[in-house]
Amino acid sequence: MSKILIIDDDVDLAAVEKGVLEREGYSVILAPNGVEGLVQARKEKPDLIILDITMPVMDGYLFADEFNRDKTIAKIPVVALTSYVESPLDQPVPFQVTEWVNKPIKPKDLVLLANKYLKKPVN
Amino acid sequence: MSTVEPTAGYLPELKALKVRLNVFVKMRWLVVLGIIAVTLSARYIFSISFQMLPVFIICLFLLVYNLWMYLWDRRLANDDTEGVIKRAQINGYIQVLLDLGILTFLLHFTGGITNPFIFIYVIHTTAASILLTKRRAYELTTIAVGMAALLAFLEYSGVIGHVNLIGFVPSTMYKQLNYVFSIIITLAVLAYTSTYITTAVAGELRQQHLKVDQLRDQLLKEDERELQRISGEVERLKDERNRFVRLLSVVTHDLQAPLVAVQSCISYVLDGYAGEVAEQQKGWLQRGSRRIDGLLVLITDLLDIPRIELGQIKQEMAELSLNEVINHSLEGLDLVAQEKGLRLLVELPEKSPVIYGSGRRLQQVIINLTNNAINYTQEGEINIRLSENADEIRVDIIDTGIGIPPKDLPRLFDEFYRGSNVEAKGTGLGLSIAKRIILAHGGKIWAESPCPETGRGSKFTFTIPKQKNI
Repeated sequence: MSKILIIDDDVDLAAVEKGVLEREGYSVILAPNGVEGLVQARKEKPDLIILDITMPVMDGYLFADEFNRDKTIAKIPVVALTSYVESPLDQPVPFQVTEWVNKPIKPKDLVLLANKYLKKPVN
Repeated sequence: MSTVEPTAGYLPELKALKVRLNVFVKMRWLVVLGIIAVTLSARYIFSISFQMLPVFIICLFLLVYNLWMYLWDRRLANDDTEGVIKRAQINGYIQVLLDLGILTFLLHFTGGITNPFIFIYVIHTTAASILLTKRRAYELTTIAVGMAALLAFLEYSGVIGHVNLIGFVPSTMYKQLNYVFSIIITLAVLAYTSTYITTAVAGELRQQHLKVDQLRDQLLKEDERELQRISGEVERLKDERNRFVRLLSVVTHDLQAPLVAVQSCISYVLDGYAGEVAEQQKGWLQRGSRRIDGLLVLITDLLDIPRIELGQIKQEMAELSLNEVINHSLEGLDLVAQEKGLRLLVELPEKSPVIYGSGRRLQQVIINLTNNAINYTQEGEINIRLSENADEIRVDIIDTGIGIPPKDLPRLFDEFYRGSNVEAKGTGLGLSIAKRIILAHGGKIWAESPCPETGRGSKFTFTIPKQKNI
């Protein structure tokens, strides 16, 4: 069963995303910040990571830095959720983001996104 | 090599000393000529006889000495190391001394106290007064008078011989005490008086130079202080501005994030993830969701304005291909137009014009203007046309819609201005932001209604100069 890791400090948003994706048959793990995100990424080895990058950008970049250097997880596709159309002002993104998506993301778009990167589970 | 300005801190005229020393050297060549001329004319024109050989030997010595001085002075003129002024002063002093000595010798061989050229000493003392300090000037004056007096005394007392100027003065003239005395006194008076006058004038000049230097230094210092103050101020303002923009970013995020969360929760329910939703329930939830959408847009717009004003746009600027920008902007909008039964026509030049600007922001403008056109047109078409000339690019957005009443036209681009014939949709900020963005690019934006070419609807135009110096 495909695993998705959602790293977002907004509890409600994460809950909504989890609900939507679990309905589609994916297994979802949540992490409330970048540090926890790394722990979970290493432990669970998810197939897709949805990362929240918003201002203040402490966690997003903390995560990104470590993520790059860890060969065991660096290959996992990362979708960045952001409030901006492009990367946040002033700061370039320090890692390869597979895709940028604007917040807020509608549930059906979220599902399409997951399906795009993962095989739709038979459920 | 010293990095300190070697002439700093010295009295101004000493700086010129170096340069003037070579005037001495030049004059000396002439002096040699003069001596020869006088000697020859005394002998052959005025028939005054005396031994000429010693005079010519002294002239030879003068030539050699002057050559040495010529070389020394040339070295000094090119010398810029520390202590050069000191060396120049020494050189000047030595020259005057040697000159006095040579003069004394020359006088001895040409009649001593009976030679009227004895008063030449005064020329040397005057030159010294101009070039050296007051103290040195008086020193040299005293030495000069002393040398003359010594010469006269030695000849008078018979310690050394006396050359008689036969045919000029009686040969016992040099033994007449009252004569000798009067000449020496006259010489002394002349020398000291001229030294006094000259050092006074030189002193006056010195003071003025000093004053000018002081004033100049003062002005420079003041300028520098002012400059520092202003650049300090500029730095402070820059810091303030950056802090404010960062604050804005934080505020935007903190205002938007909870709204986004609320939006997500409502969408979650509306899409049936929390169980089936009755039609009636759907309706109410949708009302709420729409209001939140509007609020999100308003926040973004409001917080955009200061960001644009504070020049954040400049940091986003890069070289843009306008055809691309326009095509990007219209992605999705053609569907919206289609849904309403309108045609969206785009006219782009074959070769995409290139300007310097912010792609994101220009897209914002085009999307805003096109959206407006779509919203206010019930049937017909929307025309988006890009053109360029030598100085600028131009975008026209023409619709066949309800147009704008003439009284609304002047205030169209004001904040929160909503026309008189529109429904209360939108924040009323779109056009004012569009205007700010275009202005930040150095361009102009305006509206015409009805469109001059078709006689109906509205036409919005903006231009952006192609020059980079925004």
